[in-house]
Amino acid sequence: MGKVIDRNIDIGPFVPAPDDDMLICRCEEVTKGEIRKAVHDGMWTMTEIRRYLRSGMGLCQGQTCSRLVKGIVARELGVSPADLEPATARSPMRPIEMKIFGCEEVDA
Amino acid sequence: MKRYDLVIVGAGPSGLSAAIEAAKRGMEVIIFDENEKPGGQLFKQIHKFFGSKEHHAKIRGFKIGQELLKEANELGVEVVLNATVIGLYDDKEITVKIGDGINHYKGDAVIVATGAAENMVTFPGWTLPGVIGAGAAQTMMNLHGIKPGNKVLMLGSGNVGLVVSFQLMQAGCEVVALVDAAPRVGGYGVHAAKVARCGVPFYLSHTIKEVEGDEFVTGVTINQVDSSFIPIPDTEKHFDVDTVCMAVGLSPMSQLLKMAGCEMEDNPKRGGQVPIIDDYGRTSVPGIIAAGDVSGIEEASSAMIEGRMAGICAAEYLGYCTKEELEENLKILEDDLESLRQGMFAPKNRGKLIEKTEEGIDISTNLLEKGYISEKEIERYPGVTHKVGIHPVIECTQNIPCNPCQDACKKGCISIGANITNLPIVKTEGNCINCGMCVASCSGQAIFLVDEDTGDGSSTVTMPYEFIPLPEVGDKGFGLNRKGEKICEAEVVSVRAVKAFDHTNLLTIKVPKEYAMKARFFKALA
Repeated sequence: MGKVIDRNIDIGPFVPAPDDDMLICRCEEVTKGEIRKAVHDGMWTMTEIRRYLRSGMGLCQGQTCSRLVKGIVARELGVSPADLEPATARSPMRPIEMKIFGCEEVDA
Repeated sequence: MKRYDLVIVGAGPSGLSAAIEAAKRGMEVIIFDENEKPGGQLFKQIHKFFGSKEHHAKIRGFKIGQELLKEANELGVEVVLNATVIGLYDDKEITVKIGDGINHYKGDAVIVATGAAENMVTFPGWTLPGVIGAGAAQTMMNLHGIKPGNKVLMLGSGNVGLVVSFQLMQAGCEVVALVDAAPRVGGYGVHAAKVARCGVPFYLSHTIKEVEGDEFVTGVTINQVDSSFIPIPDTEKHFDVDTVCMAVGLSPMSQLLKMAGCEMEDNPKRGGQVPIIDDYGRTSVPGIIAAGDVSGIEEASSAMIEGRMAGICAAEYLGYCTKEELEENLKILEDDLESLRQGMFAPKNRGKLIEKTEEGIDISTNLLEKGYISEKEIERYPGVTHKVGIHPVIECTQNIPCNPCQDACKKGCISIGANITNLPIVKTEGNCINCGMCVASCSGQAIFLVDEDTGDGSSTVTMPYEFIPLPEVGDKGFGLNRKGEKICEAEVVSVRAVKAFDHTNLLTIKVPKEYAMKARFFKALA
């Protein structure tokens, strides 16, 4: 379990950085700056970030970026990435077409 | 919904090993794997493995995979491919996408052996086509026979980065540089040395500044970093490349375990989000067991042992073996696993700077910083001795759990002793008959047969050679030193390719006698 992060701590203002336009979540085209800004908008958990920006909700389901996003959020909050609870794991684990997801093979 | 005694997710080294142990004890076992071929990472591993006989040492990874698969099949294990497990619910209900539908299964026990995913690092241009993971490069080359690129820069000097760099060269790619932000090579010295002697420069304490290109990769710029990994100004170096390969670690794919309600932790030593497990892989949910990289990043040999532990635990959980049998077997496997976790690269030594070998000999700093042992350093190791006539020279200078060379020599030239991590000793009283078995048995390609003075002002050096085209007797070219520099003229005087060498060909070159201890690779005239 990740630590509960005290939402009253002051993380200071958002300071633009030269690499803010770098893509982090390539499936949903979310940049480093957007993730950092989201933290300053109050999105302090991985679940909140994911719902706010859709990072990690594309084709690869965060296989590539979830570790990167976590690192960026942790740095912005001044905590260790290990202290952040990862986003909820739920089915389907892999991207899947709705017509397949809805096709239950009951006799299998 | 179909019920099985044991459902295993992942048909890699740990999943297949688990299936074998469970099926042996009478369990009905099914394995799902999302890939079209079984074997997980094993089927991409074309190099010979380290270890002892029990750990399948000197057998190539894909062969180990084939053997495991054959054994599982013979025991009646059902292996379902192209089958993606998409959910693991309460009461161990599993949903699997097979074809165009969702199938439901229930396992009375479940082993999750899903492995790991590759990490990425970001830099300007990291999303350009041509920036790939080392695992992707291996999949392209070794499963599909496709060359990933022509000129490649490798980021990461761990065993994956080193092994894949070598394989890229075997596939005909040019590896222009091996780069790592760490100040020292992370993987085995022998893997580094075989890459370095092909002429690949190592840039430690360097990282990628940016990758260039509009539509695809056309070049890469690296720069030096200080001890806090901050780039040092004016240290840029540019390389024209079409591919940048990243080997910067793995993260466990543990989401299924989290979904199943297993207690998890973020443990950087084990690679990230991992289930909290006992010594044998049992999670907090009774009957759900984790094995292999999903429970902590290691390598295939330990994954196979962890898999066997998991299989036996599952058998005991459902009453297919007694508690006594379980404990007896776990004890043996635990000792086995412990023997793999010895030496300089043991998990407990991760991140530590080791300056001396277990024998008290100084570690080669040149090997750690540049990828090859300097000529000054090489003489201090017990594998490097001198005598008249042909004798082995073993450039194995770090304590790693590996000993096939000792068994390969029937003439008493090579000794490691009971402690598997000891450095090999070449005994001058041994009677070397130039059979070449030691050269071919060394997974690290670190053994050479040297005749320092053939009587006509020359010497001969026999080396392992795993490239095509294979040179022919009479071919002329150059002897390369450990750094891969041309140092002398050389002529091929013998090429041996016999079945017992398992595709490690033995190339013997004739060089002027002063180069006997310097020439370690051959490059034919263009």
